[in-house]
Amino acid sequence: MAPVSLKKLVKRYGALEVVHGIDLEVKDREFIALVGPSGCGKSTTLRMIAGLEDVSGGTIEIGDNVVNDLPPRARNISMVFQSYALYPHMTVGENMGFSLKIAGRPVEEIKEKVADAAAILDLSHLLERRPSQLSGGQRQRVAMGRAIVRRPDVFLFDEPLSNLDAKLRTQVRTEIKKLHARMQATMIYVTHDQVEAMTLSDRIVIMRDGHIEQIGTPEEVFNRPLTKFVAGFIGSPPMNMDDVTVDDGKLVFATGATLPIPPKFRQSLTTGQKVTFGLRPDDFFPTGHGLNSGDAEAVAQLELPVSITEPLGNETLVFVGFNGRDWVSRMLNPRPLPSGQNIKMSFDLSQAHLFDLTTGNSLVA
Amino acid sequence: MKLSRLSAPVLLLFPAFLVLAAVVVVPLALSFYSSFTPFRLTKPESLYVFIGLRNYITVLSSWDFWVAFGRTVLFLTIALNAEMLLGLGLALLVSKAVRGQRLLRTLMMFPMMFSPVLVGFQFKFLFNDNIGLINNGLQSLGLTDQAIPWLIDGNLALFSITVAEVWSSTSVFAILILAGLLAMPRDPIEAAHVDGCTPLQTFRFVTWPYLMPFAFIAMTIRSLDVARAYDIVKIMTDGGPAKRTELLWTLVGRTAYSDARMGMANAMAYFAIVLSILFTVYFFRKLAAARQQIGAEW
Repeated sequence: MAPVSLKKLVKRYGALEVVHGIDLEVKDREFIALVGPSGCGKSTTLRMIAGLEDVSGGTIEIGDNVVNDLPPRARNISMVFQSYALYPHMTVGENMGFSLKIAGRPVEEIKEKVADAAAILDLSHLLERRPSQLSGGQRQRVAMGRAIVRRPDVFLFDEPLSNLDAKLRTQVRTEIKKLHARMQATMIYVTHDQVEAMTLSDRIVIMRDGHIEQIGTPEEVFNRPLTKFVAGFIGSPPMNMDDVTVDDGKLVFATGATLPIPPKFRQSLTTGQKVTFGLRPDDFFPTGHGLNSGDAEAVAQLELPVSITEPLGNETLVFVGFNGRDWVSRMLNPRPLPSGQNIKMSFDLSQAHLFDLTTGNSLVA
Repeated sequence: MKLSRLSAPVLLLFPAFLVLAAVVVVPLALSFYSSFTPFRLTKPESLYVFIGLRNYITVLSSWDFWVAFGRTVLFLTIALNAEMLLGLGLALLVSKAVRGQRLLRTLMMFPMMFSPVLVGFQFKFLFNDNIGLINNGLQSLGLTDQAIPWLIDGNLALFSITVAEVWSSTSVFAILILAGLLAMPRDPIEAAHVDGCTPLQTFRFVTWPYLMPFAFIAMTIRSLDVARAYDIVKIMTDGGPAKRTELLWTLVGRTAYSDARMGMANAMAYFAIVLSILFTVYFFRKLAAARQQIGAEW
């Protein structure tokens, strides 16, 4: 139970700097997800917090202590690895109790704590097995058990679900969430999967090329992305985006297609300005099949050709040709749509996002 | 016409069987048979005299034989353990090398490229009490003013041979253990660090269990090699002084060719093979257990 604070944290490999002085305050008992594409520095950051990588600059504090120069064993943390990293020559029970054994705790206490953790994770019947006799999901649960037995100040997760199949991933994800509720511990979770980040965390840290792009609650990063990168990274399917030029109250696309300027941006845009226009698939839908915005004035309508459809049962993703490529839209209460047919599409401009063309920063209305 | 009645597989395998029989089965059977005869190279007709187990009884009741046998086991134990420890240390050091690891690995294999006979000569020169480098070095450093009789003193001679043996074969251990080190996943080691292990505990509880199968493979191979040690001893001391470095196979060789008592020598050899088989079985058991322990999938 401790806050974690990163101050101007830098990681260099020789001349190559991969983490460029990031600042992050993780509150006590908070669940924070570090998310970003591969190579963005999220795992490196986590490994620095764990003490598995040296810190090249800045400080890491756990609780009130600067831990930069402490070895992992002195930081009172637990880590769950992507590859489980179980000790193959020990049974499940020995794996879970290993840290207590190293700490020299009495056998009775170890037994009790392992039994407790096993009960939480539904592993009680597997304690005598070896890791090689377990399925992937069970192995990852053992890895989590090993982490919780110690009651550490901070839990670190390094893409723990990446090696599991889709169904198990959802299952274990739920278990991690329950675990957080139960343990009331600080947890830092690295993933490249924005769905995991959204579903699990109190706050999300979106990283890119060794910088933090945005820190915010799942709602914030989804509804108010600060940069074009965040807008494109968070949300599935991703936001539709294209560059436009402002011309006399209209947004003009490269192919000449036009949309009215979203009402909230009317005051701030000037003719000739170039911006990136973004609209989530949820706010772009076949007329009559979307979320009702309740603001009819802000909805623009165009006849557009259907390219392909991806039925998901409760909804269908419709790809329609617009501005020379396919824009994806989310169709609620779906009905079959033949390819090539022109249908009336609604653009809910009250939900539109505009980004500066050069900096990629969101234009705040 | 007759050939065509044999099936194709039999026909095709026949030459291989013929060659195997000529070079393996017949000599093996012949030598085994001769161990029941008083066969002497100087009296060919003695090959046809059957004397039952008399050779074996003579061998097993011979003090010289048991001394050589015991010395071989001692030599084996010391050499294998020293090679194991040195090889492990070497492998751990090389695995830590950030730069030039390939070069180091190649250098490490140099001793294996020398023929044992050459190693024998080389160490015979190094340990020479008059002109040897070792005595020269010790004297120049002022550590001693005497010429230590490395190959002449009974106890020192076996020690010197052990040093030569260890020098030439430590790399076998080092390379196999290094292979294990390079093959083992990094994650459990990091997990151990996080779980609170000191570097020493990490080695003891995580790294070593991974390396054990590799160490046992090396042990198995080397135990067979060392148990049949002949060339280095032959060159360095020829079993001397006063038989103080006589090992099993130098004794067998001497009995067979110097004394020309081939039947007796074969009896010794067959008994010696039992020793090798025991070691192999023992290490394979250990290996299987170690492999199962780490859940190896090979």
